[in-house]
Amino acid sequence: MLTGLSTTLFISIFSFLIGIALGLPLAFIRSYGSKPYQILVDVFEKFFRGIPELVLMLLFYFGIGLYVPNPFKNAFFTATFVLGLRSAANQSQIFRVAIRGIGEEQMVAASSLGLSKVKSIFYVMMPQVFIFSTPGLGSEYSLLIKDSSYAFVITVVEIMAITDWIRKATSDAVTPYLIAALLYILLTFPIATWFDTWGSRKKKQLGL
Amino acid sequence: MTIRVMECRNLWKIYDKITAVKDVSLKINEGEIKLIFGPSGSGKSTLLRCLAMLTPPTKGEVFLRDECLTKPNVDLNKARARIGFVFQHIWLFLHLTALGNVELALRHVLKMSKNEARERAMQALREVKLEEWAKHYPAQLSGGQQQRVGIARALARNPDIILLDEPTSALDPELTGEVIDTLRDLAKKGTTMLIVSHEMPFAREVADEMIFFDEGIIVETGPPEQFFTNPRSERAQRFMARLIKRTKRE
Repeated sequence: MLTGLSTTLFISIFSFLIGIALGLPLAFIRSYGSKPYQILVDVFEKFFRGIPELVLMLLFYFGIGLYVPNPFKNAFFTATFVLGLRSAANQSQIFRVAIRGIGEEQMVAASSLGLSKVKSIFYVMMPQVFIFSTPGLGSEYSLLIKDSSYAFVITVVEIMAITDWIRKATSDAVTPYLIAALLYILLTFPIATWFDTWGSRKKKQLGL
Repeated sequence: MTIRVMECRNLWKIYDKITAVKDVSLKINEGEIKLIFGPSGSGKSTLLRCLAMLTPPTKGEVFLRDECLTKPNVDLNKARARIGFVFQHIWLFLHLTALGNVELALRHVLKMSKNEARERAMQALREVKLEEWAKHYPAQLSGGQQQRVGIARALARNPDIILLDEPTSALDPELTGEVIDTLRDLAKKGTTMLIVSHEMPFAREVADEMIFFDEGIIVETGPPEQFFTNPRSERAQRFMARLIKRTKRE
């Protein structure tokens, strides 16, 4: 059960980090980039937000994995990859709301000092966008923990896979699922809540 | 000898429906303080932003010393690094302390070392008498203190000129005094400034020239005495009468 738990945690954390790493630049391209790039980001977001992650995982693992076995035949990779990109699409939207909320003023002030657009984004906008987004990021993280259970379908040995083994071995269809449920709650709530509290405190301190 | 620091020639700013600045020309020499005043919505802020190239003018030329900023392919970031700008609504970076706000451009525009930037930033904060507040975030400062940080942020780079867009008008009346005092100190040091303001006693004291601006044009220019005793244009007369009446009430 513990291996399953750590796999679930790894898939979620890695895909969350992929989500931040891609989602932040995407949000800024969508907000400040030129039109063609904006459309590109929009298409990416629609693709990964519109298609169920189960379909995406099966598509990449069985479909694309057939032609590009390396790396898509690695189930752990494919699960993290799909959830990571889905999370990037979600987080891009979360960050975009923050960019709009913080407003153009901070960018104008930064450029009045002679900072380039990229530096203004990096030094002035990004830290604020991150703090502004903490409630959304907290729920995005919970979503990833829960959605990582789909990885079970493409043979990743995470909480659900192990739960299923235990169910088969003991013919008990209640206890294993209750334990799994409890584990998911333990994985989501404390971190999401901590994130939210930290964010609210920071926001209050900065008057954001 | 007079050395030109900033000049605009035949400057226009046209938005979709309104023309905010119409064919404006003005020049500021080294050490001069010029003060723009006029009714709200007359295009003063737009003019200032065009001069700092924060908004590109539609037509006309802007010069910073010998460099024409309105030509294509000018490195505007480099030019803006030499222009200080103080905003009406202050716009400090909320996630940085007072010191962080002042340091940012020193570190990442002028590329100073950490220690050098810190020293220079502290010096700028000393000039606005906020040394002890260096570690505070903007939200922990009063409006007047925030604006003084805004001024320190603008002057830390030793810019060629500082443009101030109504630096006191968003503040509570009892907080304007400290900001005005700071500006008075800058004036004494010979800082070149273009200020949009309606603080008339201050204007009378420090301005070399006052510029009355209305509906996108310069209506009248002259030394402060001209406006306080005998404005030439009827529009300026009416506006001055209203301002003086208001100042007396306060």
